[in-house]
Amino acid sequence: MWKVTLRGITTKKLRFLLTASSVMLGVAFMSGTMTLTDTVRATFDDLFRDINEGTDVVVRGVQPFESDFGDVPRRPVPAALLPAVREVPGVATAEGLVEVPYAQIVDEANEPVGNPGLGAPSFGFSWTDDEDLNPMTLQPGGHAPAAADEVVIDKGSADAGGIAVGDTVRVLTQQEVKEYEVVGIAKFGAADSPAGASIVMFTTEEAQRINNFRDQYSSIAVVGDGSVSQQELAERIARSALVGSDVEIVTGEALIEENQDQLAENIGFFNTALLVFAFVALFVACFIIYNTFQITVAQRTRELALLRAIGASAAQVRRSVIAEALAVGLAASALGLGLGILLSVVLKNLLNTLGFDIPATDVVVTPDTVVWAFVVGLLVTVLSAVLPARRAARVPPVAAMRDVAVERPTNFGRRLLIGGAILALGAAVLVYGLFATPDDAVAFIGFGAFTVFIGVFVLGPLIVRPVARVLGRPLVLVKGVTGTLARENAVRNPRRTAATAAALMVGVALVGFITIFAASAKKSIAHAIDQQLKSDFLVQGGTGFAMVPLSPTVAETMRTVPELSVVAPVRFDAVLVGGEQAFVTGADPATSSELVDFDVREGSLRDLTADGIAVSERYADDNDLGMGDLVVVTFPATGDVPMEIEAIYSRREMAGDFLITLDAWATNFLPQQQYDSLVMARLAPGADADAARAAIEEALEPYPTAKVRDNAQYKEDQAASVNQVVNLVYALLFLAIVIATIGIVITLMLSIYERTRELGLLRAVGMTQSQMRSSVRWESVIIALLGTALGLVIGLFFGWAVVAALRDEGFTRFAAAPGQLLVIVVVAAVVGVVAGVYPAWRASRLDVLRAIATE
Amino acid sequence: MGPSGSGKSTLLHCIAGLDRLTSGEVWLGELALSQLSERELTKVRRDQVGFVFQAFNLIPTLNALENITLPMALAGRRPDDEWLDRVIDTVGLRDRLTHRPSELSGGQQQRVAVARALASRPQIVFADEPTGNLDSRSGAEILSFMQRAVREFGQTVVMVTHDPIAASYSDRVVFLVDGRIVDEIHDPTADSVLRKMRELGD
Repeated sequence: MWKVTLRGITTKKLRFLLTASSVMLGVAFMSGTMTLTDTVRATFDDLFRDINEGTDVVVRGVQPFESDFGDVPRRPVPAALLPAVREVPGVATAEGLVEVPYAQIVDEANEPVGNPGLGAPSFGFSWTDDEDLNPMTLQPGGHAPAAADEVVIDKGSADAGGIAVGDTVRVLTQQEVKEYEVVGIAKFGAADSPAGASIVMFTTEEAQRINNFRDQYSSIAVVGDGSVSQQELAERIARSALVGSDVEIVTGEALIEENQDQLAENIGFFNTALLVFAFVALFVACFIIYNTFQITVAQRTRELALLRAIGASAAQVRRSVIAEALAVGLAASALGLGLGILLSVVLKNLLNTLGFDIPATDVVVTPDTVVWAFVVGLLVTVLSAVLPARRAARVPPVAAMRDVAVERPTNFGRRLLIGGAILALGAAVLVYGLFATPDDAVAFIGFGAFTVFIGVFVLGPLIVRPVARVLGRPLVLVKGVTGTLARENAVRNPRRTAATAAALMVGVALVGFITIFAASAKKSIAHAIDQQLKSDFLVQGGTGFAMVPLSPTVAETMRTVPELSVVAPVRFDAVLVGGEQAFVTGADPATSSELVDFDVREGSLRDLTADGIAVSERYADDNDLGMGDLVVVTFPATGDVPMEIEAIYSRREMAGDFLITLDAWATNFLPQQQYDSLVMARLAPGADADAARAAIEEALEPYPTAKVRDNAQYKEDQAASVNQVVNLVYALLFLAIVIATIGIVITLMLSIYERTRELGLLRAVGMTQSQMRSSVRWESVIIALLGTALGLVIGLFFGWAVVAALRDEGFTRFAAAPGQLLVIVVVAAVVGVVAGVYPAWRASRLDVLRAIATE
Repeated sequence: MGPSGSGKSTLLHCIAGLDRLTSGEVWLGELALSQLSERELTKVRRDQVGFVFQAFNLIPTLNALENITLPMALAGRRPDDEWLDRVIDTVGLRDRLTHRPSELSGGQQQRVAVARALASRPQIVFADEPTGNLDSRSGAEILSFMQRAVREFGQTVVMVTHDPIAASYSDRVVFLVDGRIVDEIHDPTADSVLRKMRELGD
């Protein structure tokens, strides 16, 4: 029995390889992702260890809360603690350090160094001469900053901006823009800069000034004299120093672990996102494995029956099919793992060229990755082959005497019932997950979508014939008998065609969904801007989703432009409201309500005080709150602050659910969080828009990250940010489409093999090679279009459901994006043509005589 | 005619443009087949030659009429309707035209094949054991259709067979042994053919 299995594999090498390749690609994606994240993690784990190596204990402010919306900074530490810490027995040295969250170097050409808002971060810190506490090493020819206008910068930034010691650079921070003399260039160990970040090192006093610190540090770093453990030293400091409740003390080891955990969490998100796409690819591969085995079992009916007739048991036949699947899975896993490791190297280099300078380290392949590659590869292949194996086992010995059985007729009613039930269940679970938003909404949505695909897959064979008839009609008219043959061949095995098309359907459905989702997002954003924005210009730091801080001096500068009548800076940041994570908007109520139509329902925004808050109508309704009620907001600086509702507004797309005054912001946010996110402005009556723009741009010349946008451009920027994400998703779904294409190739090859005699006959009675190729190619196109049609219907449904569910989140507009969907159809047709190339060539090269002589 | 392995089918494949010659020449009317490209050969098969094979003569996805007109459809020509009607009536398929091969009996399938071979008015029709898979009644039907095509339409038919009864429908029987022509009979009967076969076998 094993010999038969093995022989079967070795004689059909190409089919074996193609089948394995579908799973291999999925495994490669998965193991590549895992290897990349493991490598990046290992690299940074080392990095954090290097940075903090000399630090034994850190005294730092507490972090009042955590937020998924961004890093919530820690509170500063009183400088008065430093002498007390230094007194503690066992402390060798202690230094007050200041971290500047945003410091952007601008080079001589007035260009920001690095890639603001998109690439690695730009930040600063205070220079310390203590080598144990300073991760940077000065390069020869420079010295530490000694005056308020002296800085040291990292070598990466110096090289990127063509900056040398002695040059003058401007640095953008939350203060006014300021010129500094570069007095030194420093490296980060062997690297030019940590992970491509751009770093400015100031004197401690200057860093404090930038952060608005008054006798405060970000932290106090302590080096022990070696007489006691880090733990003991930390405890001693906690006991003897004047440590208040705002301060926490951690050991250097704990800090390293904390950094590593933080990074693991960030990478974990990235990892999960990529693994979702690997899962999609493997899901598509399941269809292909299933289909390939199903077809080959059908084609081998006689052979299997003969085996049964000469004494093989049903279980042996079943095991032989499973064994073949195991072999496919094993090959796919091994090749996929290898390819995945290569892929991770390529991706890492890609990240490097994008500016995320990941220091060169060896690729880290963990045992986990290897185990997962094999477990998943084998599981996917073997599970997909279970049904075909059962079918093989059911072949009766007597079938050896009969002609090769054609596909069993479809039991219409039963299939409709089962498929319909699965589809309905999937749709119901999906809709429940979306609209009822249970705790595990994502799990419900994922399972629902998965089940919808299975349902359509089961229903597929019923749909193939009518849909292909319609799709093939123009073909028959244009191509005549070649077209007829293509169409009829596409529908002669509905189950086979349906399974092949289903593989493509999954990819197309997701692409279609993303397309509709993005189009709806863009339309909704544009609608919100049109409806609510009454300003003429918007100034943002950068143009992407990532908000680059703007110094409040940007707004001040704009106020001096005579062409502008109203200038309103706006801030966004993370807080907790009633214990829940939220975004709060800070703005001057008077000016901002002139520039944004909030549609105030109760109270007046103009009367908003520093102790009050304006909330959206939705938040008020959902929480049963009204005017005068108290909302507890947890701020980074002040902790829990009860604020009175002084206004309720209905339009929440621009400001979100909560709005406070800039005075309230100044009090409640930390001193280093006093920057603007964007500035809105209105044209003075009678002023010319172009002249005003030129005037603003001129005034803001010292701030090259500040981009002046009119409303149309703002819309474009927002659309461009959406497109960026969408293009990334397209790229990731590309793999699923490639795998589906392989599926079409396999099915066509198997079909052609099966039709050898028929093809020979066609050639004998006068079909030319090019007609033969054309016929196979169009058959491929019909299968591809069939998968696309099914996929688009599902994609439209997903898109509609998700957009409808997110109506309250600002998705007020649904856009079916017919133009883009048409592009998908065209691309699918091209996929069909491409998939058909090789099988068509094979079919046309058939030896006529051998074909008609084949038994 | 000839015993198994005598080269009947090979000869047929060669003169029909299905196989390439290692030496020698094949003339079909004015055409030297050995000088034609694969593309030109395909055209010759489509336009000037008709085929009837022993089995698997029809494309299962096309109905009877589509199968009959297949060579012309491939050439992008419209069939001559009058002629087509005559052929269809001759083989008696009028009420079966929209049926697929799987819905036809073996005899009916071969009749469709004969109709296809005749429909494009080829210079010559090649039939390779056309009755080999049929019962004697259906076989006799097919043979008489082909005979009528010769008598009434003046169609040239070359048939390979090892069945003396089938051979008796022809005007001339050529005998092959080991790839060589060894004898021939004009106006054969089943008996005369059988006798000759026995002679050759000895």
